[in-house]
Amino acid sequence: MTGHGPRSGRGRGVAPDDGRNIDPTMGILQGEGSDQRVPDDRARAEGAAPFAVWKTAPSRKGQAGGSAAPEPTYYGRPVLKQPVWIWAVPAYFFSGGVAGAAAVLGAAAQVSGREELDGLITRCRWTAAIGSAIGTGLLIHDLGRPERFLNMLRVFRPSSPLNVGSWVLAAAGPLTASSAILSGAGGGAGAVGDAAGYAGGAVGLPLAGYTAVLVSSTAVPVWSEIRRSLPALFVASAVTGAASFLQLLKLNRREESIVRRFAVAGAAADLAAGLAVDRSGGRVDGVGSALHEGLAGSFLRAAKTLTAGSLAINVIPGRARWKRMAAGLLGALGSAATKFGVFYAGQASARDPHATFLQQRAGYGAAEVTRRSAVTGPEGRATR
Amino acid sequence: MNAKGFFTDTTVCIGCKACEVACKEWNQLPDDGMFFTGMSYDNTVDLGASTWRHVEFVERPVPLAGQETAQGNFSWLLMSDVCKHCQRAGCLENCPTGAIVRTEFDSVYVQPDVCNGCGYCIVGCPFGVIDRREGDGRAWKCTLCYDRLKDDMTPACAKACPTESIQFGDLDELKDRARTRVDQLHQRGMSEAYLYGVDADNQPGTEGLNAFFLLVDRPEVYNLPPDPVVPTKKVGQAWLSMAAAVLGMALAAAGAVVSSAGRRRQ
Repeated sequence: MTGHGPRSGRGRGVAPDDGRNIDPTMGILQGEGSDQRVPDDRARAEGAAPFAVWKTAPSRKGQAGGSAAPEPTYYGRPVLKQPVWIWAVPAYFFSGGVAGAAAVLGAAAQVSGREELDGLITRCRWTAAIGSAIGTGLLIHDLGRPERFLNMLRVFRPSSPLNVGSWVLAAAGPLTASSAILSGAGGGAGAVGDAAGYAGGAVGLPLAGYTAVLVSSTAVPVWSEIRRSLPALFVASAVTGAASFLQLLKLNRREESIVRRFAVAGAAADLAAGLAVDRSGGRVDGVGSALHEGLAGSFLRAAKTLTAGSLAINVIPGRARWKRMAAGLLGALGSAATKFGVFYAGQASARDPHATFLQQRAGYGAAEVTRRSAVTGPEGRATR
Repeated sequence: MNAKGFFTDTTVCIGCKACEVACKEWNQLPDDGMFFTGMSYDNTVDLGASTWRHVEFVERPVPLAGQETAQGNFSWLLMSDVCKHCQRAGCLENCPTGAIVRTEFDSVYVQPDVCNGCGYCIVGCPFGVIDRREGDGRAWKCTLCYDRLKDDMTPACAKACPTESIQFGDLDELKDRARTRVDQLHQRGMSEAYLYGVDADNQPGTEGLNAFFLLVDRPEVYNLPPDPVVPTKKVGQAWLSMAAAVLGMALAAAGAVVSSAGRRRQ
């Protein structure tokens, strides 16, 4: 246990105006919260609330709270904290998904043992390796303390999808990198590369899908509501992304046909899973709206349009180069837009107290997985 | 060591904010900026990285037994909110680094020297308690005054509370006391009184809160979720869906390769 007892070096060099009004000559900083730095820009926020000031009398009927209000909130304040994640997280969902699906396709092509697919196998391996590396960089960039990223592998905790995913990514990085470097090599090195290619394909499966579990295992209403359909959407979107990216690369005729089939399967599943997500999110009024409104709605509508466009181009017969390029570009953008859309839907959902209240009152809080819901009054529970 | 916790009886809270001040002083937490919110007397707004006690002020246009105000149809609800130290804690179960641990006092504690600021605890908390401190990069919340408990002292907020609205002690004893208090209030005509999160039967989603509350209106009024659940209780369904989806992906990849016929390698 840490955080207890005197810590040497504490309090030295702390300016007396650090926001705590503690004069370092009079007292020392060694409380539990004394580690917290006081940001310089905090002073500028003083005097102005970082949100809209409440302007009506709180006790008026229909206003803030009390049983008199039909759907009471606490001054409209969110129940939950908004996710602190930045753009790097959905960007990682995209690059990790592309890496996973590419590793799987590479391994499948490897199983076939066809010589003419060597080019595709190499490209899949490099896509997986670069996608994993970029993804790792994005994840580390998002951390509040990036220098401590290795703490992710300090324990194995199956209850935490982020911990499981960190182990998956930690395995995927070296496996996909070594398979990529050794692709095309002969003899023993080639055999090691092939083994790494198979192993990379195996970890590519969870790599493409665990991020959906990561997002679902939260208190954010819309994310937890779509936990059964989101994995299908994320995996399908990973297939669309990987196949679309490969379509932009130089491939022979046979390889083109494989990648196009993979892209068609991905995009079709992507669109179907998108509808399933809308349906499961719409189970409770006021929860699913996060998927259709604002920034998230724009991203998800764009994702559906782009993916449908990519699918349409890919099913038109003929193998003109412009078709591959257009389908690849639309599909890759669509796949990224899906991840960003789902991410921003969660941000909006966490801001909305009604989403939490309505979801749980509709029986989709604890009641869904426990026999009874929580006590919310002298005689009542949250749901019957 | 016995499990320790808080019983917060909102019916005797007078909204003095001594708990907020004592918490900030003892833990040497920086201030959160001085601003006016217009939300009754609440300028603290919410719990956060540097606010571990938060007194809520609800002005209701309805009367409450035992409360008389100059305005007729009016009553105050005051509540000192805090980390609930859940039996099934969403933050702890989501933490990928093992920074969040359960202590010998059965409280939930974030080890600041381990936390790498991934932010996954923040979305795991069904009460919106834990938060990441900007400029510091780590997640922070109430420690149940772990340093004070080590020296057999009462947490700062409970020590400072002038009305014993915040009661600290052995969890079993607090639960008995709380149930007696509810019976007493019911006899006095305050029939709205009930306990929020006192045990696993009361709140199955969290299997009980080590910091539970006596409330007199719906949880929503106090900005508390009506049926909170630790996300881990539902995550199995997501893993199963993922397993099915990635199986589909593997089949699609194999199908794409097999369906395009070609020469086999020698």
